Amino acid sequence: MSGAVGREAVFPTRQSLGLMKNKLKGAEIGHTLLKRKSEALTKRFRDITRRIDEAKQKMGRVMQIAAFSLAEVSYAVGGDIGYQIQESAKQARFRVRAKQENVSGVLLPTFESYTQDGVNDFGLTGLGKGGQQIQRCRETYARAVETLVELASLQTAFLILDEVIKVVNRRVNAIEHVIIPRTENTIKYINSELDELDREEFYRLKKVSGKKQRDVAAADAEILAARQKAAEEQAAHPEAVEKEEKETKDVLGEDEDNDVIF
Amino acid sequence: MEGLFFNINGGYVEGIVRGYRNSLLSGQNYSNLTQCETIDDVKLQLAPSYGDFLSSLPPNPSTSDLAGRMTDKLVSEFKYLIAQSTGSTAKFLEYMTYGYMIDNIALLITGTLHERDTRELLERCHPLGWFETLPVLCVATNIEELYNSVLIETPLAAYFKESLSHQDLDELNIEIVRNTLYKNYLEDFYNFVNTHPDFSGTPTQDVMAQILQFEADRRAINITLNSFGTELSKQERRKLYPEFGQLYPEGSLMLSRAEDVEGVALAVSAVADYKAFFDAVGLSQGGGGLGGMGGGPGDGKSLEDLFYQKEMDMSKLVFTRQFTPAVVYAWMKLKEQEIRNVTWIAECIAQNQKDRIGNFISVF
Repeated sequence: MSGAVGREAVFPTRQSLGLMKNKLKGAEIGHTLLKRKSEALTKRFRDITRRIDEAKQKMGRVMQIAAFSLAEVSYAVGGDIGYQIQESAKQARFRVRAKQENVSGVLLPTFESYTQDGVNDFGLTGLGKGGQQIQRCRETYARAVETLVELASLQTAFLILDEVIKVVNRRVNAIEHVIIPRTENTIKYINSELDELDREEFYRLKKVSGKKQRDVAAADAEILAARQKAAEEQAAHPEAVEKEEKETKDVLGEDEDNDVIF
Repeated sequence: MEGLFFNINGGYVEGIVRGYRNSLLSGQNYSNLTQCETIDDVKLQLAPSYGDFLSSLPPNPSTSDLAGRMTDKLVSEFKYLIAQSTGSTAKFLEYMTYGYMIDNIALLITGTLHERDTRELLERCHPLGWFETLPVLCVATNIEELYNSVLIETPLAAYFKESLSHQDLDELNIEIVRNTLYKNYLEDFYNFVNTHPDFSGTPTQDVMAQILQFEADRRAINITLNSFGTELSKQERRKLYPEFGQLYPEGSLMLSRAEDVEGVALAVSAVADYKAFFDAVGLSQGGGGLGGMGGGPGDGKSLEDLFYQKEMDMSKLVFTRQFTPAVVYAWMKLKEQEIRNVTWIAECIAQNQKDRIGNFISVF
């Protein structure tokens, strides 16, 4: 795996090594944090799944009762009252309030239902016959709608949480399997490059010092030979020493020195 | 005496209706229906009585489609009857349709008040309540126009004239309008069967007076019970009570003062039948269980069920009389109950709620 992720395009310098080490540390912290978030969300998610299951079963029962109470109404009234009810309803009696709930940084909308008691638009429908059934049917349906609202908020939370959990898990996996190995690779690379540089430097220094020693040895031998020669010459012509000394004062003059090679 | 000349004009119609009566579902049919597993089975069981009308339904139709087709059959049979009848019998049959007209007009007024396209409302109208000028109601765009140009021409104008003006139509709740019209209609119908020379002193007057009185009382009681907890005031409520019937006038007065179910029970206690009903459903249940079919414990009968039962019994007894168009009325009521029964059974089957399937009223 680590071979496939490659490394980041950085110059193998000490500065970038420091950066990478910081990055690795950050990635590890982020990884644990995200992992914990994902676990919290998953826990919540399971809870919601369970509640959705319950709510759905409840909805099945309630809707059945509600549909049946509608059948009772049509039996009692002996006709279709749907149109009249649609027309006489002007204001919503059953209302829904939207709220937000914060689950480890995720905002989940929750719906809360409430009835406005003052609104009773079709109170007189079925005055002649079937009024009681209509009232009861309305109550049953109000309960059914309540269940639906509950289910709706759970389903919305379910979808949002599902999405968020996917994103978080993707991030966790990305950090675990891509960012951390890549950073580690980069650090390894930088380290190896730096080691290589160190070795090269060491070898070069060794070479330089070896050459220097050789030069110094050659220069020493030359000087020794020169001294010997001078001693011999002095022994032969003692006055020539003064001349030689005169010549050495001229070292900053026009005469060029030989280049010094290290 | 009335038998001497009745058959000249009304004999055919009566004979036809007696034939129709024989095709009503019997207890045996109902028990077969309750055994059904699917709507298709129900359809199959209904085939002897409703064959042609149900055959075009798709497999496993909805209960409302089923009820619609059954109503179609009722309507076509009734239209045949009304086409065959003459004179006072025809007038009697027309009176029977006025109740449906009231429903249709209430529907159209609701639509007009909310500025709906009234054309689509016409499809929802009950076909029995159809009259020639009904489509013209669509032309009217506001209530005043509706009243002045259209309602005036209809047979129902008299019912409007007595108690409602166009201002009322704008302001009043449509349910109150409907019930006021219905009250006027019942009174008019009652008056008609009692005073029309062809009917007074005949079995028609006998049975129809009884049935209409019962209908009036039932409406009064229902209105009272259903108005508890609504904004309908006692004065307004009182105006909706038909001014005849066994409860009128003392019972009606007491009903108009009743504030709870006990008050209603007290008001009707003068009439043995209604007292028995109230005792049967049990007053101790309070308001919640009274009107509901499923609300009451015990045999599951509610006040409304008992009323329907009583109505069916009365309708059944009408067939013991001869030489009267009242059999048509009785047959209509029985048929409507049958449609509701079948709808109920189909609904129970469709929703898999078999435990309450027996909650219908079998007459024969």
